[in-house]
Amino acid sequence: MSLLQSPHWPFLIDVYFFLGGLAGGAFVIATVANLIDSARYRDVIRVGYYLSLLVLLPCPLILIVDLGVPARFMNMILTFNPLSPMSMGAWALLGFSACAFFAALFTLMEDMGKARDLSGPKLVAGVIGGFFGFFLAAYPGVLIGATARPLWIEGHALGALFLAVGASTGAAAMALILLALGQRARQGIGAVRTMTVLALLIQIVAVLVFIASVQMSGRPASVTALGALTGGRFAGLFWGGAIVVGSVLPLVLGLVDLKRRSAALTALTSVLVLAGGFLVKYVIMAAGQV
Amino acid sequence: MARTLAMFTDTSLCIGCRACQVACKQWNELGLEQPDWTGTYQNHTHFTDKTFRLVRFIEEPGAKPNGDLAWLLMSDVCKHCADAGCLNACPTGAIYRTEYGTVNINQDVCNGCRYCVSACPFGVVSFNEATGTAKKCTFCNDRIHNGLGPACAKACPTESIQFGFRDELVAKASKRVDALKAMGFKNAQLYGADSGGFLGGRNAFFLLLAKPVTYGLPDNPKLPQKNLFVDSLLSIGSALLVGIGALVAFRGRGGKEG
Repeated sequence: MSLLQSPHWPFLIDVYFFLGGLAGGAFVIATVANLIDSARYRDVIRVGYYLSLLVLLPCPLILIVDLGVPARFMNMILTFNPLSPMSMGAWALLGFSACAFFAALFTLMEDMGKARDLSGPKLVAGVIGGFFGFFLAAYPGVLIGATARPLWIEGHALGALFLAVGASTGAAAMALILLALGQRARQGIGAVRTMTVLALLIQIVAVLVFIASVQMSGRPASVTALGALTGGRFAGLFWGGAIVVGSVLPLVLGLVDLKRRSAALTALTSVLVLAGGFLVKYVIMAAGQV
Repeated sequence: MARTLAMFTDTSLCIGCRACQVACKQWNELGLEQPDWTGTYQNHTHFTDKTFRLVRFIEEPGAKPNGDLAWLLMSDVCKHCADAGCLNACPTGAIYRTEYGTVNINQDVCNGCRYCVSACPFGVVSFNEATGTAKKCTFCNDRIHNGLGPACAKACPTESIQFGFRDELVAKASKRVDALKAMGFKNAQLYGADSGGFLGGRNAFFLLLAKPVTYGLPDNPKLPQKNLFVDSLLSIGSALLVGIGALVAFRGRGGKEG
């Protein structure tokens, strides 16, 4: 009999983890593109920065609404507690929001013809925001790892996993938008495809490390909780949804697409990556809070 | 810091009257709840936002010195860990340590994120829907700051719950273990008394007559924040791979059509 209590974080928190990761991933990719060649990858940069700001907008609202006393959300940013990933995450969200706002603003000013070339200021916002973006994508995994929940406490790659999911879903969302923008905006989509494949690889390795670390801990409660994920009521969603359809299949399709460069294949891969990335986070959150 | 205060719960003296549970409810004005029917005298199954003291009733075959079934009783409470997972997890600073070494939740600061609920290795911290805040045993903070012991210790008719300075209580408890062992309770042991032990020792510690796991307590509870270092390093590794991969991907495409 376990005496532990569950925080019962609602579905909306899973949505936040997904959106925050996607925003962080897209932002980092846009920043790297800006770093390499701001003129050639103009569309990748535009898409990345607009997307991350848009996806970020609902995030603070979700977090505030979920609080027991929403009016006290400010208390999170009156404290700085390095031992609490939630405290650090609140700061990272604040810092990332500022960077994402300025990066999108500079991009908008260029697009509206108010300024000719703002790639310099964009680079400053991008590099600082890139660090925050990585943090925003990874911290939820570290956060749930620093609880007493049996499934999470022994799992050691959750931060790395969430970061990889952020990168893969960010790249996939950017690829879809670049496709929708048409032939003109295809410059750089190849690199975005490569990013999707790379992030998927890390994602799959991180899931396996997570499973292995829980299994090898040998703690009965943790092994039982893992059993619910890999062999119990969550098994179908986990293996079928998150792993096979959501990670391995898009990895294979993505590898084929690296050679073929077909718009249809890229679109299919990206949709699968987005669905799979959400499922990975959702099923780990759900199985951990039973 | 003042001298550390502690509560010592000697389960061998507990008669299961639940005076502590009632005294706790009354003093802290914890209010009514729907009972849980557990099939035993125990109510509730675990700590709630309105139950800070909880007497556990456990039937354990063969646990008596003569091999009979033992009816183990244990008045459980927040352990006020010297290295507290809930306190470390709190992102608002609502959870704090008092000058007496106890751990408390400031109800005027807590914003109800529930991170502490998931971080407690003993399932003590509970969420109160009505106030929207996290609740747990306060070690009767108001009473100990006015020269009174906690309400539960005051109400206990058998001195199963004792209140005092930690060092004195630990010395007393060790003697009691030796006495019980001499009487044939070979599994008699202290839980959380060792200040160098897991979670830095706890300011509410127990004398148990069986292994901790029999009471549903973790044998060797782990501080949740122990994972932070490794998890952060792995995250940074993952970030480096993504970052370097992106640099290579975009640079490699520089010369040709994407």
